[in-house]
Amino acid sequence: MSTLEANGQQLEVRKGDTILQTLKRGGIHVPTICHMEGLLPSGTCRMCVVEVEGMGGLIPSCSYPAAEGMKVRTSTPTVLKTRKAIVELLLSNHPDDCLYCARNGNCDLANLAKEHGVRQRVFRGERKRKEKDISSPAIVRDPEKCILCGKCVRVCEEVQGVSAIDFINRGSKAFVGTAYDEGMNVSCCINCGQCILVCPTAALTEKNYVAEVMRVLADPGKTVVVQHAPAVSVSIAEEFGIKPGTDIDGQMVAALRQVGFDKVFDTSFTADLTIMEEGSELIKRITEGGALPMFTSCSPGWIKFVEQFYPELLPNVSTCKSPQQMMGAIIKSFYAKRAGIEPRDIVSVSIMPCTAKKFECSRPEMGRDYVPDVDYVLTTRELAELFRIVGVNPAFLEPEGADSPFGERSSAGKLFGASGGVMEAALRSAVFLLTGEEMKDYKIQDLRGMKGCKELRVQVAGLDLGAAVVSSLGQARKLMEEIKGGRKDLQFIEVMTCPGGCINGGGQPLGANMESVKARMAALYTIDREDHLRVSHKNAEVQRLYQEFLGAPLGHLSHELLHTHYHQREVMQ
Amino acid sequence: MQEQKKILVVDDDIDMLEQVAIILKGEGYQVIQAQGQKEGEEALLTTIPDLAVLDLMMEHMDSGFVLCHHVKRLYPDTPVILLTAVKSATGMDFNPQSSDAASWVKADVLLDKPVRPEQLKQEVRRLLKV
Repeated sequence: MSTLEANGQQLEVRKGDTILQTLKRGGIHVPTICHMEGLLPSGTCRMCVVEVEGMGGLIPSCSYPAAEGMKVRTSTPTVLKTRKAIVELLLSNHPDDCLYCARNGNCDLANLAKEHGVRQRVFRGERKRKEKDISSPAIVRDPEKCILCGKCVRVCEEVQGVSAIDFINRGSKAFVGTAYDEGMNVSCCINCGQCILVCPTAALTEKNYVAEVMRVLADPGKTVVVQHAPAVSVSIAEEFGIKPGTDIDGQMVAALRQVGFDKVFDTSFTADLTIMEEGSELIKRITEGGALPMFTSCSPGWIKFVEQFYPELLPNVSTCKSPQQMMGAIIKSFYAKRAGIEPRDIVSVSIMPCTAKKFECSRPEMGRDYVPDVDYVLTTRELAELFRIVGVNPAFLEPEGADSPFGERSSAGKLFGASGGVMEAALRSAVFLLTGEEMKDYKIQDLRGMKGCKELRVQVAGLDLGAAVVSSLGQARKLMEEIKGGRKDLQFIEVMTCPGGCINGGGQPLGANMESVKARMAALYTIDREDHLRVSHKNAEVQRLYQEFLGAPLGHLSHELLHTHYHQREVMQ
Repeated sequence: MQEQKKILVVDDDIDMLEQVAIILKGEGYQVIQAQGQKEGEEALLTTIPDLAVLDLMMEHMDSGFVLCHHVKRLYPDTPVILLTAVKSATGMDFNPQSSDAASWVKADVLLDKPVRPEQLKQEVRRLLKV
């Protein structure tokens, strides 16, 4: 075993390791800004510098390979002074509006300043002046707060394969912007919000709708109905200091009632409905002929991605609306009628782990008679903010169940929150729909986990089905190219925009690392393991909805309410 | 056939004005263009628009608000879309999304520039109920 010495401690060096990776494994903390787990090092910020005996100057540990016999020191006076100076320089042109800042309390830059004992403004640089870009329905950019770490640019290009933003100009004139420096609204941005998750400051934030939702909650003339996505209950606990991977579904429902929502529905219910519709659509396409492979359509970032970059494959995208929009549509049709409320007097709010859902609900396809199906989308972070403003801490509440008629869910619907979950849920029901028998073991291990691309072949009732699951659009792009290149062995493909699925969505709590994302995923699997109802087709409320209202999957009303068609989109529009 | 709806578009930026006009004409509306607050005010004296699309900052920083008030005073039933490009450089930190702003701005819809054509068309259709 080769080792290196760090601060007098012997640490194992593995092949291909950087100094930073070795130090981290050994439990030695080194501050970083531009470093991104899982991507190649960029070495631009210099925060992670260390001293290595026998080498002149300071070494950026994130990008220097670790080697046998190295003697590394991470906290010499020179190292500490340099790191502090880096923070002081970053602060030299930073706006001092921390008290009003969206990241007040969880800002990486503020934390670094605190960690390094920065107590005064040492350098006074010229303030960067650049207007805020609030044009996008999902993401707000404030270039004045940007410290040019470049993480958003990298995640957009290297992980998502979108490249909506990049560096413009050089040196002190440099800033991060969209093509032609137009607003995000008219860029190829797919609104996934992965850039928000990696941003160390408030240069990138979600478009906040908490004030609007509070206004409608205070309006006695409105019935305010809320739905919450499967991935929210396993992540919102982190906002209240509870350890990652804790499911607080019941407490969250209770808290939603306390802040004043009239009805609380579970989006996992419409996830079950999606399985009924999408599963039937897949079987129809295979047996009667239709564009194959069929892609799932739950992830709105992915939909905009196809519209912009692969319009020729739009016929392959399932016509099903996403579970959020299905819920919105049945709330303002079936529920409105049943409760005797005019659809325009219902305000439909949805709690999503996603920023792209904010864009999705404003799409012209998603409403009828000038009434949108979903009025406001709050991310997990915004919901936590709402709870804090109102003074409700879900951790202290007794769990409650969601409301009928859209409150019951199977754990298959809950699995939608993790990459591979839609496929797993779909296969469970497809086996039943095709053979009339239930699967012996519902768990499909090959579809689980954080891997970016998972494939599986299944034989059901004489059908040989090729299934693939991809998460992150960079992975999706690879698969799309293979399909365009003539690959024909796949029939059904699940695509999630964010790496790992909705549990790692752009609206989830900030500051999470891979471990917390895995914990959220594990929480969903635990829910599935322990649930008594594990298949969508047995959801009694879904069955009742078909009996009382929709008729049959792919029926006339389903087409009108639950399905839609997407069109090619020019990138600048 | 239904009568052609008349839309007043006011913007001091001729490119923006043309662009919005092209989008709306493409949808079959009759478009009256006015370049700036003054022209807008004059146009309001001679025509009754079914809808107005106004830029916020023109000759004056508050031109859009002033025009908005004129429209609503003269023709209370005419819906107004206000297009804004907030420039913190001007020292005006106005956030149309905030509840405070929404309570005193008389526009029916506030859209942040740049606007997607699909977005504008959707709002116009919704307000005109066509």
